[in-house]
Amino acid sequence: MLGITEIATYLPSAKWSNYDRKDKFSLDDDFIENKIGVRALCVKEKSEKASDLCLHAFANLEKKGGVKREHVDCCIVVTQNPDFNIPHVSAIVHGKLGLSRACACFDISLGCSGYVYGLSSIISFMRENDLTNGLLFTADPYSDIIDTEDKNTALLFGDGATVTHISREAAWLPRKFSFGTSGADYKELLCDNGRLYMNGRAIFSFTATAVPGHIQALLADNNLTDADIDRYIFHQGSKYIVDTIRKRLGVSEDKVPFDMAEYGNTVSSSVPIILEKEMECGDNKMLIISGFGVGLSWGSAILEKNQYERSYHESNDGKH
Amino acid sequence: MKATTENIKAIIIEIVGESVELEDALPLAEQGVDSLDAVSIYLRIEETFGIKIPDEDLEQIGDIEAIVRYINERV
Repeated sequence: MLGITEIATYLPSAKWSNYDRKDKFSLDDDFIENKIGVRALCVKEKSEKASDLCLHAFANLEKKGGVKREHVDCCIVVTQNPDFNIPHVSAIVHGKLGLSRACACFDISLGCSGYVYGLSSIISFMRENDLTNGLLFTADPYSDIIDTEDKNTALLFGDGATVTHISREAAWLPRKFSFGTSGADYKELLCDNGRLYMNGRAIFSFTATAVPGHIQALLADNNLTDADIDRYIFHQGSKYIVDTIRKRLGVSEDKVPFDMAEYGNTVSSSVPIILEKEMECGDNKMLIISGFGVGLSWGSAILEKNQYERSYHESNDGKH
Repeated sequence: MKATTENIKAIIIEIVGESVELEDALPLAEQGVDSLDAVSIYLRIEETFGIKIPDEDLEQIGDIEAIVRYINERV
């Protein structure tokens, strides 16, 4: 069965401190630390584009071993800030990595819900087309569109990228996906004339009301309860929204990782950044991942540890 | 259900998480309620009383007395 074999992350080393800007926005340390939850934002080089961030993530994946470029037959990039309007970023990544001409490439235009949609999309596409080694990238450099004078967004969004290797040497398998959209509210989070606008109140209200019920329904539809779930990996919108969803779901704090303090809201990368870490915890057997935001859209999935996991490195050539 | 200063204070204290002495006519922003907690309070009010508070009305409901009046004009 196709599933997640490995994940790698890239976070730029350059950072902007939120503490350095608190006076500008009349904020105190407690608000930054305990409400926003972001001390610093990772920021890419000005000249770098989404494809460059993808390449950095892939370099980190190669360091982990297991993936061979010549075997990659599917490459998807989740982004809404592409290098150019045309062509798709995945084609640019394909060229820069020297992937096979037989490789299928396309982009998915989604934001914070993008990893869940992307994961379902790549696995379905690969399964339907008998593909065996896929790369799902997330790379959405919001530093290119943030208004640094906008209190609503300037202290939240950081740059980052991830790549997920999909193959039959799966460490984790998706059990079920669930999605939703409220397109009537699209204006609450959009980029117009190259600048991001976010109605913070609307996004908070949407997230706080839609996501907990959506996750509860996903659990119930699959005959699961909180007791079956080891971790809930929520999109890291802010500490306040992660705490609010957790409280409304009624789950314990130790099951809900919060990880964005040193890098910010990395949009579609936020879930896989944490998933990479939680996959390595031997105690974790079943996870919920949930992304929500731009669209407005949301998506959640149940992931199970593959009980019949084989070491990727034990396979003869890594191509199965 | 009608709004009272008591049930509005209960919502605020639940959100803010502290047992504070809230004054009815003093703006919430001057009583330690930050912008994120304010958004939570508005959402809880909407859910509790079954109303919608448009963004353009927020400036009318800066203190507890004003919130009570606003809700009771709409329920």
